[in-house]
Amino acid sequence: MSRSASNNRWGIASRVLAALVGGYAVAYAVTAFLAVYLPLVRPDRVVFSSLASFAVWIAVVIYVFAARSAGRIWLPIIGVTAVLCLAAFLSGDWRLRP
Amino acid sequence: MKLRQSMAGLHTWGGLLPSWLLFVIIFAGTVACFDKELSRWMRPALHDGVASSLGADDARGWLQQNVSDELHAFWMHGPTEREPYWRLGWEVDGTETIHNVTFDPRSRQATPMAETVGGEFFFKLHYNLHAGDVGMYIVGLAGMFMLVALVSGVIIHRRIFKDFFTLRPRANGQRAWLDAHNLFGVVGFPFHLVLAYTGVAIFVASYMPAAAQVSYAGNVMQYFGEVMGSYHRDELHQPAGKPVSLDALIAESQRQWGGGEVGWVSVHHPDDASAVVDIRRRDRSRIASPQDTLTYDATSGELLNRQDASTGYRAYLWLAGLHMAQFGGTLVRLLYLLMGLAGCAMLIGGLQVWLAKREQRGDRSLPWVRALNGAVFGGLPLASLALLWGNRLIPTGFAERAVAEGWVFAGAWLLVALWSVLRRQQGRRLLRGQLLLGALLALVLPLVNGLTTGGHLLASLGRGDWALASVDLFLIAAGLVCAACAWRLDGAGTPAVIRRRSPRVQEA
Repeated sequence: MSRSASNNRWGIASRVLAALVGGYAVAYAVTAFLAVYLPLVRPDRVVFSSLASFAVWIAVVIYVFAARSAGRIWLPIIGVTAVLCLAAFLSGDWRLRP
Repeated sequence: MKLRQSMAGLHTWGGLLPSWLLFVIIFAGTVACFDKELSRWMRPALHDGVASSLGADDARGWLQQNVSDELHAFWMHGPTEREPYWRLGWEVDGTETIHNVTFDPRSRQATPMAETVGGEFFFKLHYNLHAGDVGMYIVGLAGMFMLVALVSGVIIHRRIFKDFFTLRPRANGQRAWLDAHNLFGVVGFPFHLVLAYTGVAIFVASYMPAAAQVSYAGNVMQYFGEVMGSYHRDELHQPAGKPVSLDALIAESQRQWGGGEVGWVSVHHPDDASAVVDIRRRDRSRIASPQDTLTYDATSGELLNRQDASTGYRAYLWLAGLHMAQFGGTLVRLLYLLMGLAGCAMLIGGLQVWLAKREQRGDRSLPWVRALNGAVFGGLPLASLALLWGNRLIPTGFAERAVAEGWVFAGAWLLVALWSVLRRQQGRRLLRGQLLLGALLALVLPLVNGLTTGGHLLASLGRGDWALASVDLFLIAAGLVCAACAWRLDGAGTPAVIRRRSPRVQEA
């Protein structure tokens, strides 16, 4: 009983943290990725990717609370953030193209 | 089933925690729909509806005579239909502080009007809670909570169409409040979704700097310049020559646009040889004014740049324009006002559902939630009324008059908060007292306005000046609604309480 209650408490804390911090991290990564790879000129890439960021954050929050297990939500969050950030920041001078 | 349950938890707690903050933001934004009308009401010099005959050079002349510091920039806006007077603002070099002054339209010389926080007070409360950048981030986070609550609310709402036509005011408390929450939530949903999204989008460059960091290597100035297509000239650190007439540049710009209206006029580092004048176009037929800014050399008057904003920036402006409601005239602002009020009602209804659910269990936190409700839902409207009272009763020559108005607002709010905490065990009595006080403050205010200024309600109605009269009329309507609610609470209150309590007594 007490174990499942504390389990539940940690689960909620984990989800809240994932929604706030993880959600922002994924939104940040998606924005950075789109700002590099969208087939648009630079000012438009920046504006449109930034405007989409809030929708990404909301989607992550919904996912985090909808997921069955509170433990397994972190892997996709960290994975997506890492892959997209690497792709964005390691794109060399290409990300600065006009 | 599982999804709906987890979303219900998210909606309940993610909605409850920011709801008081969201109420402040939505209420202030709702009032700000008519901020310019309120500003006129708060400045007796504008009550007779005279439009200013001053020019931009008169405003600049006042600035040169009265401010000796070196300026980073100054900007001004000429008389419009809703704001028939010149506004001037400036920033002294090396400070981040902005000064503002407005000129009396009845005077033939540039004479500042008595200081007031004006309707902008609510606009600022709406976007940063008068707490600078920190407030802006807090409001942004509250906006994200609102978006999440809206999306999760739709997921848990199975019969959205059917519930739209369902209101059971005679049902027990929780059911009736849930119906009310659903009704206002569903009616307002598209509006609230759009306004919450465009609201967070306005400060997107601060909230989500990722794209500029990666695509412009963090060079924010270059980013803004390219996105907006604006012109910038670095300072030369040489004294400026004799400046060209601003009124002449305004006339030249109108000629360039083929007769368009002029909006903001701004001059950057006016005391330096690099000084430039920006003249922005104002187009009321658009959701957002296009950024057709013309930039001139401040000394020679030579046209330096014609702004060509990027597609992205135009899209951004369109979103921001949807939020700011400066298009479409009074009808659109009225709709925004009604939808904003629906948002306030949705928040209050949602909290009542939360309370009613827990009342049956007799939770210990309930009195404190009720105190918070009284302090915010009652406190903010009452403090806003107190602000208008302060505006009318603080003498014109009072030093730092705008600051004093702000203190009246803050002091009144603190008093109501204290009242709510002291009366936290008697929610009904507190509500009745607040409604009666609200009715009194709102209904007497038009009289105070009539006694302290020449612009009383009958005079403005007689002139057909609906913009000014609407403030007094709105106050009277709000006062009557408060009085009616208080009266109903008196009559129907006691039996309803008994009726609702009896089953619980049996249960116990």
